[in-house]
Amino acid sequence: MMKRLRIERAAGQLLVARPCGPSTPGAALRSSYKCTTSQVPVRHSSSSSAAEAEHTPLYEEDGTDHARFPPLEKLPPNTSALPSPLPSRALESAKLSALHARLSLSPKIPLQTLARTLVDASADPNPYFNNSSLAFLGATIINYHASEWFMVHYPRLPMEVLEAAMTGLAGPTPLDRIAKAWGIEPAAAPGGEVDPGLLQFSLDQPGETVRGFGYTRTVVDKINKNNWQRSVAARVIYEDNLPALPSTTKAKQTTPAVAEQEEQQQEEQQQDDSEVDYAETSPAAPKFSPTSYGSSTTRELSEKAHANFVRAVVGAVFAHCGREAAKSFVKAHVLSRQLDLERLFAFKHPTLELAMLCAREEFDPPVARLLSETGRLSRTPVFVVGVYSGNEKLGEGAGATLEQARLKAAMHALKAWYLYSPGEGVKVPSDVLGQEEEEAAAAGGKKKGGWEPVYIDIGELISR
Amino acid sequence: MTLNPARSSLSSASKALARCSRPPPSSVASRMGLSARQMSTETTPTTTEHTASNQSSSERRPRWSYTPERMKGPGFSINIVKDPARKIWHVNEDPEKVDAVYNRLLGKNGDKMLPDEIKWLAVTHKSFDQGRRGFNTRLAYYGRQILALETTRSILANPLPEDAAQEAAISDEHDREPFQHPALANVDKLYARQPQDVISKEKIAKLAFDVGLGEITRWKPRMPENLQRSGIVPVLNTSVLAIVGAISLQHGAEVAHRVVRDRILKRVA
Repeated sequence: MMKRLRIERAAGQLLVARPCGPSTPGAALRSSYKCTTSQVPVRHSSSSSAAEAEHTPLYEEDGTDHARFPPLEKLPPNTSALPSPLPSRALESAKLSALHARLSLSPKIPLQTLARTLVDASADPNPYFNNSSLAFLGATIINYHASEWFMVHYPRLPMEVLEAAMTGLAGPTPLDRIAKAWGIEPAAAPGGEVDPGLLQFSLDQPGETVRGFGYTRTVVDKINKNNWQRSVAARVIYEDNLPALPSTTKAKQTTPAVAEQEEQQQEEQQQDDSEVDYAETSPAAPKFSPTSYGSSTTRELSEKAHANFVRAVVGAVFAHCGREAAKSFVKAHVLSRQLDLERLFAFKHPTLELAMLCAREEFDPPVARLLSETGRLSRTPVFVVGVYSGNEKLGEGAGATLEQARLKAAMHALKAWYLYSPGEGVKVPSDVLGQEEEEAAAAGGKKKGGWEPVYIDIGELISR
Repeated sequence: MTLNPARSSLSSASKALARCSRPPPSSVASRMGLSARQMSTETTPTTTEHTASNQSSSERRPRWSYTPERMKGPGFSINIVKDPARKIWHVNEDPEKVDAVYNRLLGKNGDKMLPDEIKWLAVTHKSFDQGRRGFNTRLAYYGRQILALETTRSILANPLPEDAAQEAAISDEHDREPFQHPALANVDKLYARQPQDVISKEKIAKLAFDVGLGEITRWKPRMPENLQRSGIVPVLNTSVLAIVGAISLQHGAEVAHRVVRDRILKRVA
């Protein structure tokens, strides 16, 4: 009854023309709230409001404007002064319970933890209220499972392609998409009064988060200034993990600007991998369409916040339910995604690389042979060229010119080498985690419980 | 599609021996090191380049011990270097030294944990021999993920040390009480203590020096007179992490995680 009265009372005020104020409701609340005193304001009577030309924001005890945003629940005093909702409010949020059920999370995971995973470090700097620790833990777990999956299923993948594949499977962009597929909605602005089931992050300040598992090089400023090339081998040791972990802003590490630059450069390098290889595939699509909402900065921040939420959920599953549950969660949501590895390759001199590969593996040197052709003198010729090592065909390619077809054939041969996979049913190393070593040794390699050594490749061809 | 090696049996051992040595640079193509490449289409394949490795398997050289013949260049370089002395760098070729280092790092029978080829591969950096004998970058990438996870788990599982515990106690400016749960209490330790506080590349490099990886790692420093600036620290880190990764792929995660806990974290932290 009270709510209906309130809405009736508010209707008259809402119909009145309002003066222009700050763009977002959150900003309006914040700027106005700072000006007013903390005393309880006097409520105006409803009848006089309809006649008022202007509506001054009315702040109740909890700091929100009940006229503009009729509350769904009774909030404690000064709620909007808090950076994030109190943990107790998690038990009353319908959105949060629905999310918990939608993800089929175990009852061991309390709603308060799930509420904490939705609070980004930029919304609430207190590390015991935001998701930075959980996100760090979850990122470590996701990266571990993703990398072991690649090591077993694609043992010959070149290092740069592996980095791009890890970013494509477990990086910020796919995690952002996973979060959106889960139905996560962001709050317009973080604050204590928002629904705990909304993802809270700020577009203004990046926030201090847990450092990533990487090291800053002393020459990192020079690298960014002079565009020095960072070698693949050095990246393995130095860079804040690929795919990017929650960004670092603590004292010893890089500044946010440099960290973002590094990540941008990393992304650029990875996009280079997905570029056209000799005009074989179409160019990589831009990350965000020109009609996307907001600016590139806000989109980046939003993507990071969503990705950190997914990582935090994995961390929460690990913390409350254990290692196996976290692994099944990652397998179900992250590793099950489709990634077209073939498109991540970009060759500079495919025929040279193939010749060197045959030299290294001591195969017969590759020979290109024209298998069939049509329309040589016409406007649209097609040449089909096969590359042979001895009597065995390594690859085949069709092109509009002889040169093009030969290059395609060489590229296909190299892809066939690098994309070797032992199959889908191969075990990953963590499948035997938890077994006693003696039990594994007794079970032996062939039996079900044991571990069979997987193929380890010596490395890719280095091409310049 | 897997590429099958095109190894066909030789007609006679003498033919193979005759083809062992590099052909004399009689033609332009061979002088340019292009003898391996056939630039035009041919109808009959020539099985010319079967080197010593195609002898009977007992005489086959291990891959780690030689550069494939056809990958070698003309034997000279027209590149003008600043300091020719920097080209001189000798690496270990003794398998027993490698075994000794593995025993020191992994404990008793550590040298039997990995097959020969993988043992050498794990300590071969990309800078060695132009990368022609393989390198340990991918293994190190995977080993780093294992180390990161295991270090994080060790932080969660163990109580915080004194100084970190003090740093962990922070007060909220709004006087809020965080939600308490024993599982979350473990995760909250990550605020005060992170893997970088437990382990660093300098610590791993020191461990590597102690077990002798500095002598057996195969690499090529840019400046042999100044190994620090040539990057011996990341190279040794790569070796250690690659060994961890190789053990995980060879024996499974249980063994690998135990190795990380007992052989690396215990010695380093």
